[in-house]
Amino acid sequence: MSILATEGLSKRFPRVTALDQLTVNIGPGVTGLVGANGAGKSTLIKILLGLLRPTSGRATVLGLDIASQGEEIRRVVGYMPEHDCLPPDVSATELVVHLARLSGLPRTAARERAADTLRHVGLHEERYRPIGGYSTGMRQRVKLAQALVHDPRLVFLDEPTNGLDPAGRDDMLRLIRRIGTEFGISVLVTSHLLGELERTCDHVIVIDAGRLLRSSGIDDFTQGTHTVSVEVEEGQAEFAEALTRAGQRVEADGRLLVIKVVDDSTYDAVRDIASDLDLGLIRLEQRRGRIEDVFRERDHAQGGAERV
Amino acid sequence: MSEPSGVIHDIGYRHYDGPRHGRAYARTALFTNSLRGAFGLGRPAKSKIMPMLLGVIMLLPATVSIAVMALLREGPLSYTGYAVTMQAVVAIFLATQAPYLVGPDQRYRVLPLLFSRPGTPTDYIVAKVAAIVGAMMIIMVLPITLMFVGEIFVNPPGPLHTGDYLRGVGGAFLFAIFLGTVGIALASLTPRRGLGVASVIAFYLITLATSTVLSGVLESLSHDTASRWTLLINPFMLVDAIQVWIFGSRPALGIDYPSGAGGPVALLAVLLLIGAALAILVNRYRKAASS
Repeated sequence: MSILATEGLSKRFPRVTALDQLTVNIGPGVTGLVGANGAGKSTLIKILLGLLRPTSGRATVLGLDIASQGEEIRRVVGYMPEHDCLPPDVSATELVVHLARLSGLPRTAARERAADTLRHVGLHEERYRPIGGYSTGMRQRVKLAQALVHDPRLVFLDEPTNGLDPAGRDDMLRLIRRIGTEFGISVLVTSHLLGELERTCDHVIVIDAGRLLRSSGIDDFTQGTHTVSVEVEEGQAEFAEALTRAGQRVEADGRLLVIKVVDDSTYDAVRDIASDLDLGLIRLEQRRGRIEDVFRERDHAQGGAERV
Repeated sequence: MSEPSGVIHDIGYRHYDGPRHGRAYARTALFTNSLRGAFGLGRPAKSKIMPMLLGVIMLLPATVSIAVMALLREGPLSYTGYAVTMQAVVAIFLATQAPYLVGPDQRYRVLPLLFSRPGTPTDYIVAKVAAIVGAMMIIMVLPITLMFVGEIFVNPPGPLHTGDYLRGVGGAFLFAIFLGTVGIALASLTPRRGLGVASVIAFYLITLATSTVLSGVLESLSHDTASRWTLLINPFMLVDAIQVWIFGSRPALGIDYPSGAGGPVALLAVLLLIGAALAILVNRYRKAASS
């Protein structure tokens, strides 16, 4: 089942091309949308909400067409903006109840849902106090609550971890994971930090300058980049040389040698060569690839191309 | 398996499958919220001071008039002229409350939360204009209604001014819709409250001063017709000229407006200004929705 699909979606502003022929298809679950600042993430969300008209291309959200069914889309989708968007002189409860009613919920239901949702995001007694006195973490929770209050089928979360400290960031990521699993609401979450999406998402889409760089399941993402890292007492250079001669891809990373795992023969080569050279092994560690590596590899490839 | 009673369970996330109303409901919710807000309801205590104070001041002449009717056995104040006589208070109410209705949504960037819901920018504009018009209606109709109820009970000599009262209500609607729309359009141009208040007040003071000075000068030069036309630069007089023309009421300040074309021209001017104000609002919020 497709939660959202775009086809050749482009958005050109007078000075910049925000989206360039973007074609993606996203299924249920938690999907990460990764890209540097200005990669077109927020523009894509605006278009998917039916608020911004694409220059060309088509898209559907939950089977609804963005060009003609924007209102229906916004009825069943929640949106958490990236920037601060909360008035300081009302309480979280008042704001969320009001927004629930603007989503069409009757007064009583709006009150109940607001109380439930605020509790789920972890705002308790403080929800009756004016938002002006909240910490960044609490504000992010209010922003999340208003996106969920009308029980949407899909939420767009734009940089939800922005401005949070490490503990707050972990809380938010856990919450996002719960929304996707326990709550059964599909999530499209953007971030410019790749690492945080690894633990949260089922699927990751990487865009750069409005173009699709990669779209795949989180497993595919990290499997292709399995490495083994080895630290030896001395003779790192000889070890690296011998491994390279044996056809392995080796990179020095400080005191570590990072060897790309092609198949089991890689492990054999590491064992045999270390034994042949009589090296003192300090550490031998299998590393599950990180999403960053996808970028690192790409940068290397580009760097290589430039040198040639 | 039966569960022990009296235990609180975390029942987890519950889906909502109750009714979901449409845009009309959302518009009404936004309207009610804004109308209440215009009187400081649902806002911190200090936001209630200004609108409530102005409301009380608006009621003062009506209260005095009731006393005069009861004690001196005289007729009530002019129902149609009430808003014009109290124009400064009405203008201050508009200037302080219109920016509240549209300013914070821009200042604190709340609009994306509203426009990511089914309602459109047009719904937003309709709700906000209706709220300020409603608030202005309340502030102008409440005193004359009080005065009318007073007249019924006190029953001073002479016939009951039912027609005048109804004309006064109709006039208040004209005032509210014209001043409210223009006021909210001016206020929507800036996210800052101070600037919003200042721009509405400046609009009122500049038109008032221009109108007063020009009509005074022209009158002293014996250009009576021209002098009467320049009265219409004051937005309150402009609306009063329409109610004089349509409802046949007496001019609020006792000075005649231009005869003949005066009424229709005033109506045309009011319609054009309302149109311009709506165009400003539509342009403003279309942009805001997509940014």
